[in-house]
Amino acid sequence: MIERIEVLKSFIWNRKHHGFRRTPESLGLDSLSEQFHAGDVAPVERSARMLKALLEAEEPIILEGETIVATRTITRIPSVFTEEEWAEIKKHHTLHERGTVSNISADYEGILRDGLGKRKAQVQARMQDKDLTAEQKQFLQAAKESIEAVQAFIAKYRDCAERAGLKEVAADLEAIRENGAETLHQALQLLRMVHFALWESDCYHNTLGRFDQYIYPYYKADIDAGRITGEQAFDLVEEFFLACNKDSDLYIGMQQGDNGQSIVLGGRNQKGEYLFNEVSKMCLRASYELNLIDPKINLRCDGQTPLEVYKLGAQLTKRGLGFPQYDNDDVVIPGLLKLGYTPEDAYNYVVAACWEFIIPKNGMEIPNIDALSFAGIVSAAVEHLGEYPTYEAFYSYIDSRIKAECDRITKAHDNLYIVPAPFMSMLMGGTIERAQDISLGGNSNNYGVHGTGLSTAADSLEVIKKYYYEDKSISLEEMLDCVHNNFKGHEALQDRLRNEAPKMGLDQEEPDSIGSALLKSFAEGLRGKRNERGGIWRAGTGTAMYYIFHAKDLPATPDGRSAGEVIPANFTPSMFLRQQGPVSVMRSFSKQDLQDTINGGPLTIELDESIFRNEETIEKLAMLIRNYMRLGGHQLQLNTLNRETLLDAKAHPELHRDLIVRVWGWSGYFVELDECYQDHIIERIKYKI
Amino acid sequence: MSSGIIFSIEEFAINDGPGIRTTVFLKGCPLRCAWCHNPESWKREPQIMVKKGREEMCGYSIEAADLAGRLKRDEALYRDSGGGVTFTGGEPLMQAAFLTEVMDLLPGIHKAVETSGYASPETFREVLSRTDLFLFDIKLADPELHRQFTGAGNAPILQNLQTLIASGKPFVARVPLIPGVNDTPENMEATAELLEGASGLQRVELLRYNQMAGAKYPMVGLPYDPPFQEKQEPKIHDAFTKKGIKLLIL
Repeated sequence: MIERIEVLKSFIWNRKHHGFRRTPESLGLDSLSEQFHAGDVAPVERSARMLKALLEAEEPIILEGETIVATRTITRIPSVFTEEEWAEIKKHHTLHERGTVSNISADYEGILRDGLGKRKAQVQARMQDKDLTAEQKQFLQAAKESIEAVQAFIAKYRDCAERAGLKEVAADLEAIRENGAETLHQALQLLRMVHFALWESDCYHNTLGRFDQYIYPYYKADIDAGRITGEQAFDLVEEFFLACNKDSDLYIGMQQGDNGQSIVLGGRNQKGEYLFNEVSKMCLRASYELNLIDPKINLRCDGQTPLEVYKLGAQLTKRGLGFPQYDNDDVVIPGLLKLGYTPEDAYNYVVAACWEFIIPKNGMEIPNIDALSFAGIVSAAVEHLGEYPTYEAFYSYIDSRIKAECDRITKAHDNLYIVPAPFMSMLMGGTIERAQDISLGGNSNNYGVHGTGLSTAADSLEVIKKYYYEDKSISLEEMLDCVHNNFKGHEALQDRLRNEAPKMGLDQEEPDSIGSALLKSFAEGLRGKRNERGGIWRAGTGTAMYYIFHAKDLPATPDGRSAGEVIPANFTPSMFLRQQGPVSVMRSFSKQDLQDTINGGPLTIELDESIFRNEETIEKLAMLIRNYMRLGGHQLQLNTLNRETLLDAKAHPELHRDLIVRVWGWSGYFVELDECYQDHIIERIKYKI
Repeated sequence: MSSGIIFSIEEFAINDGPGIRTTVFLKGCPLRCAWCHNPESWKREPQIMVKKGREEMCGYSIEAADLAGRLKRDEALYRDSGGGVTFTGGEPLMQAAFLTEVMDLLPGIHKAVETSGYASPETFREVLSRTDLFLFDIKLADPELHRQFTGAGNAPILQNLQTLIASGKPFVARVPLIPGVNDTPENMEATAELLEGASGLQRVELLRYNQMAGAKYPMVGLPYDPPFQEKQEPKIHDAFTKKGIKLLIL
């Protein structure tokens, strides 16, 4: 890391830029929604005006040594609606999370190429259409105003750079105010500006997509023209990464750190070429050097990806940031094709805030709209165990419950309302043609549903099959008594079930095939269903924060889990699996038809940091990761942790501000997490390799 | 078909030879090294071990074909990674008939054996012919000290080491670094002399004393009372590099 970046990092790490921040109240911005209400301003127009007001109120700040500028100075983005209006909206609509556009991947490639000026010209041309409805005109007008607001913001920074004597920075800001990027610096600056503006428009989980692919042409042009050296290019990439950490504490998710700034590197194209370039390498190196939570890196790979690439990934895994996450093109792309995505979109997939597979530009997906609790369904079904004479009959009942839950979920999200996002609309496909805001739909509008507690459910069914139906060593009364009374009086049996009963993760035929059956029922339950936006429903293996929510009220389960005890996050073995090792776990968790549950959700394996004692072990880890891809796993996430460090960090947070952990699909600072998430991480490391 | 007693199969064993390996721990050992961290490996027979208040059997009998089948499961991974299978213990040569039978059932898979070398010359030759790589322990060069700290003399070990060297088979020599016991210049020089000119020697690995060595003794009802200063940093005398032997300190 060069000194300039070092100084900048230290400034940001010590939160000195927080001194520039003001609240929206102090700027009079909190009363805007009242004014909108009084003036009966249309929602899409409100979003444009709010963005304009916020960007006008932003104070241009250029930190010492910065060349890629834009720093947030307003602490909170006020809503465009008043509280009363929200109450009214909620009466008639369902909302997804915060109600604004989130978790999609903008067309950065297109905006870097075209520039804001061309986008505005396209909007203006579209406005000439005489057949536009009033709503369409309103949208196009709001879109145009949003672009102009961002352009004015860029001009403000240009002037600030000029005053500071930063001639080159100012010149590049002037260039990208209107035009597409021509150099690496312009590309990164324009990217920073549009990404900044997305956050400023109250969109959230603003992912960064295939950064290495859309940035590479600008890097290549600079190198070919001799404008820049490889090291200078690296410094710029690193500075951009650092910038992603400047305001991220203001980017609200479910927990601090859950901000969705994911990037995706590598990947195979339709011609079969594996795309991994100099910028991809720089990203991995920059992330390693910076040791910060953003951006969160995904590495697209497959069975034939060169081992060198896996080794670069494993190097970063060793760093203990909880990323890269590894996504398997061999499984994801065919899975997306099966769901009906075009080859162009399927090959271009990226990852949402956590692990959901989404499509840049074209996907207005809501990949986390709900979650199905496998463990909850099995737990409730146990009450009816006595009604079914065979395991097959009992499983048919489970299958019907899963499908009933799929029916319920697919009907629970109608009348969805999303706050208009005219600026985001300018970065998504088809919006100008349709003259319609992205909040009302994009080129594809699919919904994704998580599947939680899979191993808890499969292990429980295995206990029922083996001990109740087959060897009859557990009677109906005993089984019900155990789950009703939290194993009270059955401690020895509970101990046996926890420690000796077969479990997913041991590469045994039986519980693994039950896991497969559960996923199959889930996929079938959603297949063929349409949502109100015309999209499909996708089944997945992720849990998000539901592994905490769904476990809380879950009674004791037949696998020996006590009431209230945690369930594993994502596509992961039971917390009390007595592991044979990662190879068996990988085998168990790759047997399922994962192409059919391709909403996303990784197998997670915790590694003890002591395994990384020498360089040889990095290569071995790389080969282990590749092994999961060759076995047909879809997604893998590795955590490098040390239990003692975590315990100490919980006791002395002030000494561990920089300790980074993977939570469910994102990495954050351990000391800033709620205690239940801290405890879950400490709990799962007990069962590490 | 014979059966043997093993007490663990470890996947993704990363310090037991090249590539990704699966390591099998055979139960029973003729030595009683004062620094041993696997006291459950001493007795050949399965025994009760208390882990976190729970009694568990340590060790189980397994048919040679079943073990070979379990190991062959990951043949593709071994091949992909340049890895294979490692047999350790206890002392795997104590169950030589079983061991050789299992090895014969694993054609085409790279096989490593970690051994103390304490076995009859005949037994050693039997295993030698089937092994692709040895991880050969040389704990102490001096016979008297060897007897004092491991409970047995080292004559058979040194003889088998000569057989190994003469065969030209690849091997790694492993020396545990026990503070005040074998971390002396005399012992390291003597060890280096034993190895000098061995064409199959890949490197010498010095393994630092495991400060957690005593952890498992209470679990098998044994006292741990090492006759050396556990906390003392071992001294590192490199008698090897100057003889052209590659050294790795782990």
